[in-house]
Formats: sequence, structure tokens, C-alpha cells
Amino acid sequence: MTPFQLNNKTILITGASSGIGKQAAISISEMGAKVVITGRDQKRLEETFQLLKGKNNLQFSADLLVQEELKDMVEQLPQLDGVFNCAGIVKPFPIKFISAEVLDEVFKINFNAQVLLMAQLTRQKKINKNASIVFSSSIAAAHPYKGGALYSSSKAALETYSKVIGLEFSNLGIRSNCIASAMVKTPMFDTAEHQGTKERMDEHIKKYPLGVGLPSDVTNAAIFLLSDASRWMTGQTITLDGGFLLGDF
Amino acid sequence: MEDIAAFIKKIEFEMDEIEPGTIKPATHFRELEQWSSMMGLIFIALIDTEYNVTLNGNDLINCKTVDDLYQVVKSKIQ
Repeated sequence: MTPFQLNNKTILITGASSGIGKQAAISISEMGAKVVITGRDQKRLEETFQLLKGKNNLQFSADLLVQEELKDMVEQLPQLDGVFNCAGIVKPFPIKFISAEVLDEVFKINFNAQVLLMAQLTRQKKINKNASIVFSSSIAAAHPYKGGALYSSSKAALETYSKVIGLEFSNLGIRSNCIASAMVKTPMFDTAEHQGTKERMDEHIKKYPLGVGLPSDVTNAAIFLLSDASRWMTGQTITLDGGFLLGDF
Repeated sequence: MEDIAAFIKKIEFEMDEIEPGTIKPATHFRELEQWSSMMGLIFIALIDTEYNVTLNGNDLINCKTVDDLYQVVKSKIQ
């Protein structure tokens, strides 16, 4: 049988109430997996849940940064064959204006939440042998931009953290990889456009030979990483940028 | 909110290599030689930090003069 499928796997997807996480939940369920979705916004999470294929999917509305909520949720989770971490925020801030508050906000959501989730999942032995962990990074981790100190650093931290998962759990065949994407058309894209201007975003997207990314472009790569087709791949980052970093500006 | 003179003083402080007193309420800030996209980010962050007002890129683009900017900030302070 082809390894390019997710039949009989149970996959946890965080940040599933919108953007890449939402698309991922739908596509992964269509690939045959049982899907467990989490997100902070219960109403939007339910909307995603209604779009899932299959009957045995689960949803948990929880704030993963509240230790008790996290612990309770993990206790209720089934055994997992994969985790796709999609929760994240973008917040441009020049170096000299960074405060403890904004530093906390970005790192808690982009880094701490995923680290604490993985700690609970592994400690409570919820991750099956040969499972696959996937993190949503960004090309900004290695190719930062002005104002992106916190976002870029949080994603760089995540990429390195992912490699340590690869090391610490290799004895169980558990793999960990990242997807570093450039701009993808999601609500986060709209936020970034709003924080800057439409003109600047249009100008940026013009530098993508294959145009702006779609959530499904990222999700398809995640499906590969979650499937057994990538069983020899760990500690890596797949770049998805529509050719942006080829540099034909 | 404090007066426009104090507002201008704060802006001048954030702009490197500008002679104090260069900026007037009628100054078109984008025409200053120190202006850059980075300055746009700094203006937004300064206003966020000092006045607890969140401006977006379009708010900024709709402003031509320093006084336009001051009025937008003033209107958003509750």
C-alpha cells in the first residue's frame, strides 16, 4: 500500500479554528486520519469541526497557555500518531520598542504553548511510536525582516526546538520537522496587510515567482510529513515560498 | 493628550540625525530625508507605546503632515 496516506492515524492539530490549521484539519481528515482539533475560539473551532470528514473526530476548546486547561485536555486525548502545531501570531515591533508584554505575547503563543503542549503529550505518553510532529515555521526564521525581531526569533527558536524533539525521541521512531512558509493567504495575511499597507504587501507578493501561497499548499506538505512516506526525515525544515528565495527580484 | 509640541519632540527623538526644531506641524513627514519604511514602523510603535493607540498602515498612509498624524492619535485616545 502507498505510504502517502494517513489511514488509521490519529492526528492532533492546534490552532485549527482558522488559517492553515483549519485547512489542515479538513485535508488531513480527507486523507483518512481521525482528527483532533484544538483552538481558543470555540465557535470558530466548531465551524472547522463541521467541515471534517469522518465520524470519529474530536474537538477541544482550550487555552494551551493555561497549565490546568492544557493538562486536562491532554488527559482526555486519545493516543496520537501525529501533531501539527499551527497556532501562531504575527506582531511587528521595532527593536527599541519591545516591552516585556509584547515579548511575552508573541513568544507565549508562537513558542511556549507548543513547547508546553509537547511536554504534556510526551510526559503523559500520548505520542505513539513512529509518530510525526510538524511545526509551522516561517521563512522569516532564517530570513528576517525589519520589525520582525519577535516573530522571526520565535520561529527560529521553534525550528531548533523541533530538532531536539527529533533527537530525544528518535529511539521511539518519533520524528519532528518544520514547514517554513512565506506569505500564505490566511487571516494572518490579512492582519499583516492591515498592520502594513496593501500596497507594500502587493509589492512583496510580486517577488514570488509562483504567487502567494494557499493554505492547501502548506497542508499538502504537512500531510507528507505526517505520513509514513517521510519516515526517514527528521529535524528538517521544508521551505515553501513560491520561489521567493530564489532571489529573482 | 499633550500638545503637539510635545508630540513633535517625541517624534524628533526617535528620528536619528535630525536637528531638533526641524519638524513643524505642517511638515510632510514622508518628505524628510530621514524617512524610511522603518520610520513608519517606529512611528506606529511609538504611538502604541506612548499613547496606547494602535495605528495600522492605512492610518499612517492617510496622514501627510505631522499635524494629520497628531489629530489621528488625538481622535483615537479615549
